[in-house]
Amino acid sequence: MLVVGVGNLLLGDDAAGLAVLAELESRRRVWDKAVEFLDGGTQGLGLLDRIAGHRALLILDAVKLGAAPGTVHVLPNWNGAAARATTAHESNVAELLQASALLGELPPRVTIVGIEPERVETGIGLSAAVRAAVADAAQAAATAIKEMAGASGL
Amino acid sequence: MAKRVVVDPITRIEGHLRIEAMLDDRGVIHDAISSGTMWRGLELILKDRDPRDAWAICERICGVCTTVHALASVRAVENALRIRAPKNAEIIRNILFLAQMVQDHVIHFYHLHALDWVDAVSALKADTNATFALAQKVSPDWPTSSPGYFREVQATLKKFVDSAQLGIFANAYWGHPAYKLPPEANLMAVAHYLEALRWQREIAAIHAVFGGKNPHPHYLVGGVPCAITMQGDSGINIERLNLVHDRITEAIRMVEGLYIPDLMAIASFYPEWTKMGGGLRNYMAYGDLPLNGIGDPEHFRIPGGVVLNRDLSHVLPVDLTDTGQVREEVAHSWYRYANGSEAALHPWEGVTEAHYTGPKPPYRQLDESGKYSWLKAPRWKGQPMEVGPLARLLVGYAVGRTEFKEVVDDALARMKLPVTALFSTLGRTAARALETRLAARWLLAEYERLVANIKSGDTATADTASWVPETWPADAKGFGYTEAPRGALGHWVRIRNGKIDNYQIVVPSTWNASPKDGKGQHGAYEAALLDTPIADSTRPIEILRTIHSFDPCLACASHLLGADGCTLAEVVVR
Repeated sequence: MLVVGVGNLLLGDDAAGLAVLAELESRRRVWDKAVEFLDGGTQGLGLLDRIAGHRALLILDAVKLGAAPGTVHVLPNWNGAAARATTAHESNVAELLQASALLGELPPRVTIVGIEPERVETGIGLSAAVRAAVADAAQAAATAIKEMAGASGL
Repeated sequence: MAKRVVVDPITRIEGHLRIEAMLDDRGVIHDAISSGTMWRGLELILKDRDPRDAWAICERICGVCTTVHALASVRAVENALRIRAPKNAEIIRNILFLAQMVQDHVIHFYHLHALDWVDAVSALKADTNATFALAQKVSPDWPTSSPGYFREVQATLKKFVDSAQLGIFANAYWGHPAYKLPPEANLMAVAHYLEALRWQREIAAIHAVFGGKNPHPHYLVGGVPCAITMQGDSGINIERLNLVHDRITEAIRMVEGLYIPDLMAIASFYPEWTKMGGGLRNYMAYGDLPLNGIGDPEHFRIPGGVVLNRDLSHVLPVDLTDTGQVREEVAHSWYRYANGSEAALHPWEGVTEAHYTGPKPPYRQLDESGKYSWLKAPRWKGQPMEVGPLARLLVGYAVGRTEFKEVVDDALARMKLPVTALFSTLGRTAARALETRLAARWLLAEYERLVANIKSGDTATADTASWVPETWPADAKGFGYTEAPRGALGHWVRIRNGKIDNYQIVVPSTWNASPKDGKGQHGAYEAALLDTPIADSTRPIEILRTIHSFDPCLACASHLLGADGCTLAEVVVR
């Protein structure tokens, strides 16, 4: 399966997904050999190739659902209902997954783990609220990986 | 009753653009303003930096039109320091340029512009057998085509629409009466949209081979940073060259087999759009694709020049060092010039001092009599210019280049249109496709030039004789330019004691999206909207059709980003 962190390091809390990815990678264990980790940055549709062919997909991103900043969101079995993501670029996670589905390449299991951002503006570094949530988000992601990897027979 | 239609943000473009169009009693646009609602700061970031690094910073102005700023930058620094890149480097730069242009134009047509003309939801009503018959007629050379294939595409589309998650098809006015294609043509176009989505990641490999990655392949002052080594794995070898050749063949197939036929087919349903959206009557190209060095414009594949007042019998020369030609004004822009807003500055004297005097967001409307954009107003000899594929095609055609005349005359004959049809939204859209046709051919030609040069024993890719600052004069100034997919792009640099003293960038979308100048002359987008009837002011698809025909890239155009306290720094949500 593939775990991909997306976001822009230069836009404050937009980098939340990348911080969670880094935290996860530092916790790699034996069973993770079947799990590939990828920093997808702001590649947008450029990631189409990378997500195709996997049996399960976990996306780590800043996710704005109107909750308190630092709230950890787990969206399992994504079906497109994640609405529109905020991004400085013309394509984003929702579009990436929709394009992948349209091409018939979307992995059968897709989960999104994210942190509600406080501030998405130019600047390097997460806000205190988001930084404090990274460990919990990584834990939620690790749980999701175990479930998805297990269910996919990996 | 007079109405003001505001579209903000314009979607399916790069960057942040706001259009306000004033309609008269008949619903026809009688005035329009184009506002760049975002600014970033590249020109200020570059100050005091090492000129050898400038390309890497500039390239990040935009990842959609990647490579173009890097190329203009290395050329500007090489011009200032009198460095000439060796032949292989020049050819490789041409290949990177052409790969970018082909990919960019194809993506623009299918993924940014097509949905203005193609009603994806109507595709659900298509008869798949009839769609197959249509596809056989329109693009007989395209192998992926069968009733079963179209049934699959239709079924996938139906799942999307049924779930009410239109997703990537969400940004359009489905069901608007202005959509004229029959359902079968719509389904065919949607299927091809998906083909293009699959293909666009393949051509990027060409950038990765020569430049290490895409977006933002690497450049180098003095050449290109890849080595040609027929033995071994570490450089450009036979295997890599074969990969590039494969991707080029694939690109030609995509352009000739799908893009051109689809463009012609779709255009035939919208003849009224050959009479709307023309706008400005002046066109400008700087020229590009050197075959004998950037100092020999006679041997550029894309000729430079200016056409004034749509007079194709007369092409004027462009001199980027002439301080009376290219100049930027700020009369209606949120910038301050020391000598007042009426001044017009050549980029070597350019100043970027942001001074926002607009309304506090969120606002209902801007003031067209005052300053209303983060874009400056570039002018050539005081005249507004359109730049881009149409400008390049017209200049090439007007100077009498055989291959330009050939593709234009062929297209006009097939569509049974006069040359004047080019001066329109559809003309601009067709020009982009015809330019891509030339670009794909040139891509193969440049590849063959590279192979021939390597075979002759020349494997040099960089001239490093002037790499160290100790070899540079204390004071130097240079200019670099390129024809980015969206139009003429220029970089002007002043280097003092080894560091960048001043850097100014005038990008194609600044020309096209420009606000009015001191004389009240509109920029290209604004002019193109005038006299366009809007059928339904709550669904102004007509505005989108024309604006998208320019392929806006506002990330380039307004290159300063919000400072503290300026709420325009907030990322705009689509």
